[in-house]
Formats: sequence, structure tokens, C-alpha cells
Amino acid sequence: MVEKTRSEKARVVPIKPVAPESDSLYEVRQKLHVRSVSGIFARWRWALVWITQLVFYGLPWLTWNDRQAVLFHLTERKFYIFGWVFWPQDVFYLAIILIISAYALFFFTAVAGRLWCGYACPQTVYTEMFMWIEEKIEGDHNKRRKLEEGPMNARRIGLRSAKYGAWGLLSLWTGFTFVAYFSPLEELLVAIATLSFGPWETFWILFYGAFTYIFAGLLREQVCKYMCPYARFQGVMFDPDTLVITYDEERGEPRGSRRKGADPRALGVGDCVDCGICVQVCPTGIDIRDGLQYECIGCAACIDACDQVMERMSYPPGLIRYSTENAVKKHWGSREILQHVARPRTLVYGGVLAAICIALVVGLANRTDLRMDILRDRAVLAREVGDGLIENVYRLQIMNMVEVPRTVRIGVSGLDGIRLANSEEVALPAAGTESVTVRVRAPRESGELGSNQIHFQLEVVGDASVRVREATTFLLTQ
Amino acid sequence: MLRWILVLWPSFLVAGIAEVVFFTVVNPQQLYLFGEAVEYSLIATYSIGFLAFWLVCAASSLLTLFLQQGPADVNAR
Ligand code: SF4
Ligand code: SF4
Repeated sequence: MVEKTRSEKARVVPIKPVAPESDSLYEVRQKLHVRSVSGIFARWRWALVWITQLVFYGLPWLTWNDRQAVLFHLTERKFYIFGWVFWPQDVFYLAIILIISAYALFFFTAVAGRLWCGYACPQTVYTEMFMWIEEKIEGDHNKRRKLEEGPMNARRIGLRSAKYGAWGLLSLWTGFTFVAYFSPLEELLVAIATLSFGPWETFWILFYGAFTYIFAGLLREQVCKYMCPYARFQGVMFDPDTLVITYDEERGEPRGSRRKGADPRALGVGDCVDCGICVQVCPTGIDIRDGLQYECIGCAACIDACDQVMERMSYPPGLIRYSTENAVKKHWGSREILQHVARPRTLVYGGVLAAICIALVVGLANRTDLRMDILRDRAVLAREVGDGLIENVYRLQIMNMVEVPRTVRIGVSGLDGIRLANSEEVALPAAGTESVTVRVRAPRESGELGSNQIHFQLEVVGDASVRVREATTFLLTQ
Repeated sequence: MLRWILVLWPSFLVAGIAEVVFFTVVNPQQLYLFGEAVEYSLIATYSIGFLAFWLVCAASSLLTLFLQQGPADVNAR
């Protein structure tokens, strides 16, 4: 086992980041042969594997409006998400979604610790899938250890190649799916059929595939321990009322083995039989009985494992359980724990989270699907065109953000007698942009010499509810 | 192993952020390289952009790691 440097045994919160030990760079990793576990939390983890991966592998295959339902179309610089089309100008929504994710993470961490890590993080989910393959091919943790320590014979080579091969296929499929989010799946399927991937598509499929393989197959818990920034700062969001995986030291200690049916009180031991199964199932290889450590990803595998031991010993379950520092100290039941979920920290995180979510919904509902950028023609500032009229020239870049072609009427206002000198209607392609040059004329006396504010309006022909108005300047000269 | 992770991983994360921010703001079709318009395919431009960001960030991580050695490490040589 890896030596623990913690001295504060069994102290629950706060987690302090481990002091940067200079020799941690050279820490030799002990390869873990994690024992698999069943139970209620294992079922939850598998449910999340299924949900997240059905979404991930399945989404690129859905169609909507005769195109891929979810596609971050890089070459068109447009993001399609079901009925929506987002453009680079919509980066605001991306920022909001990132803020929502951050606050959701804060909120859930404050309430129940590393829920994300234990159940939904891709690192956990893929590791779970890769370990399932490993167990199916090489057998349980004991067989795997024996295989690892045994001689390099034909059997070992065969099993290992089968495992690496299965991992490789899953990784390739994952890489392919990843690329299908950025490059239309239909084109990729044609490319598969004719074996004619572009060089960069090939590169990214292999890159993401290799990434999956290395992270879920080889690095595993090291990603959580050494690479994940969240693991390092999660402690900031914890407080004594945060639900975390807790070993009930008072009940378990002094630990010790005993025969089944022996009375622990008579032997003077606690409920922990020191079987070590909680350590064997831990994907990060820690001993939860030492107290909460930053390596613990909150997967609850040790809860499932220990509850089975407790059942076999006919002790009540829950020697390891979801609990809070205060609950353990003050012997609270689940009612008191629930009552402490609502507290200033969670209310603030939750309130901010709700407010931003509402802002996003309101923003999306009121998003105009027509946009206009106005550029003044730099060559011709203003010129006289006779009859006392001054002409300015503009370039309008008009974006039609819906997936039907539309015609818009351009209008101009702001000065007496101002009008367009050329045609007022522009046909826009579905989800496309059109640039038009417009010449605007106004009588010289209609405003002051120099720049005057005017407005361009756009109105969709046949749908007066969609309107855009943008300001610009009109130059009047002598 | 851990040294590789420390060089390649933080730089990967930062390069990812830089890539998204940069190409949201800048349309690659409007980029100029040595005075000439960039004419790679868009996917190539995005990819090269990402790899270049990664390389630059990794160089910085490498330097950090190099300078982080204690006096004992340096004197030992
Ligand atoms: S699984 Fe339970 S009984 Fe066994 S060592 Fe861990 S805490 Fe003790
Ligand atoms: S200590 Fe328990 S909850 Fe934490 S990572 Fe290990 S098995 Fe999962």
C-alpha cells in the first residue's frame, strides 16, 4: 500500500490539500487490482454509465429538421442543438452554460460531496466500463493479480491481447463518436465505407481513442489523484454538514477479527472485523477507515462492500455510510441530516444556480433569430448626388438564424426625408448570412453638419413580430 | 510518468480553453500567416491551432518543472 502521510486520523472535514511533498514526483504507483462490488450504489453507478453513454454514443445518430440533431459544425462555424442554431455571436450562452455547470458542481459538492466524481465523471464511467471488460476477460481481482505476477506464457499473452484488443475497439468507437459531434456523421460513415477519412479526422479519432484508452485503461485513479483540478479544491466547498462517505469510527473501533456469532462486546472489539474488503474495492486504493482523504472520489463502493460484511455478521448496515461530520459527532439520524441540507452555503449556491438558470431560459426565449452588423463603406464617406441630397454607403451583414429561408425588408429612419436609394428587400438563405450594400440618401438640411445618428430596421416580410434595429451614423457634408 | 503528466496535462487543459476562446472570437478564414491568407481547410486550421497552443503551453510547463528543482537537485549535478 501507499504510505499515508496523514496524521489526523479519522478527522472528517475539512480536506486539506496534501502538502507538496517534494518526493511525490517519484512516488511509485502500485498497480491496483480492484475487487468488483455489487449493491445499491454499484447499481446507481451502472445506471449512470448507461444513461450517460446512451446519450454520448447515441446523440450523433439522431436527426432533426433533416440534419444531425446535435452537431458542433466546425467548418460551418455553427452549432446545431435540436431546434436551435447557434453562431459564434452566441458565445454569451456558452459562457452562461459554463457558469451554470460550475455552480451546479459547487451546489452538489456542498450538499453531498463528490457526487459528480463518484457517479457521472467520464473518468469514472469509462474506468467502470474498462474494468468490466477486464474482469470478463481476465477474471476477478485475485486471478488478475496472479496473472500479473505469474510467468509470461501463452495464456497470459492471449488474455492480455484479448483485453487490449477489446479496450482498443471500445476506444476507437469512442473516438469516432467524439469526432461525429464536430464533423457530420453521414460524411464520416461514407468515409468509413470507402476508407477515405481526411487526415485530420483520422488524427482526432485516434487521438481521442488513445486518450480514452490511456485514461480509463492505464492511468485510472492517477487521473483523479494527480490530474484533476477539481479534486484539489473540492475541500473548499465542504463543511461539517456535507454528506460524505464516512467510516463510523466510534462504532467500528477497536477493529479486530472474530468468529461469526461471537459477541463483540464480550471480546471488547468494535463492529469492524478488519476484513479489508473496503480497501480492496476502492478504486483509488485508500483505506476509508483513516478518515476522509482527498483521494476518495465518493464512489460508495466501500459502503456496498462493508454492508455485505455487516449482513454476513448479522450486524446492522452502515458502518461505512453517507453521513456528515456533525451527524457522526452528534449522533444525528437522517431527519436531522436532512434538516441541515438547507443552510446558508447551500442556499447561496442554490439561489445563484436557480437565478442563472432562469436567466438562460429567459435569454433563449427572447433570443432574436435575425441579426445585423453594419459597416460603413470606408472609401466613400459621403457624397452629393444632386437635388440637395447627400448619400452614405453601408454594408449590412444580415444573419438569418433559423432553418427556413426568409425575406427581410430594410428600413432606415432618424432624419427627415431619409430613405434607401436601392431595393429594400433581401432574400436570406436558411441558417445563412447575406451581405448587402445599401445607399442611403438624406436632404442636406435634415440634420447638422457632421455625423447624425440614424437607425436601420429589419423586418421579416410576412412576420412583423421579428424585428431588429441597430444604430449607426450618417454624415452630412457641405 | 508523473513528470510527463505534469508537462502535458495542464498545458492540454489550458490549450483547450485558449482554442475555444481564440476561434470563437477569430474566424480562421480571416487569418493571415506571413502576409498570406490561411488556406488550409478549416478543420486543419483548428487542429493546427490546438496543437500549437498545446506546444506553447507545454513549453511553459516544462520550464516551470525545470525551475522548480531545489538547490540540492542542481548542486548534485
Ligand atoms: S469492510 Fe467494513 S468490516 Fe471490513 S475492514 Fe472495511 S470497515 Fe471493517
Ligand atoms: S474510499 Fe470508498 S468511496 Fe472513497 S474512493 Fe474508495 S471506495 Fe470509493
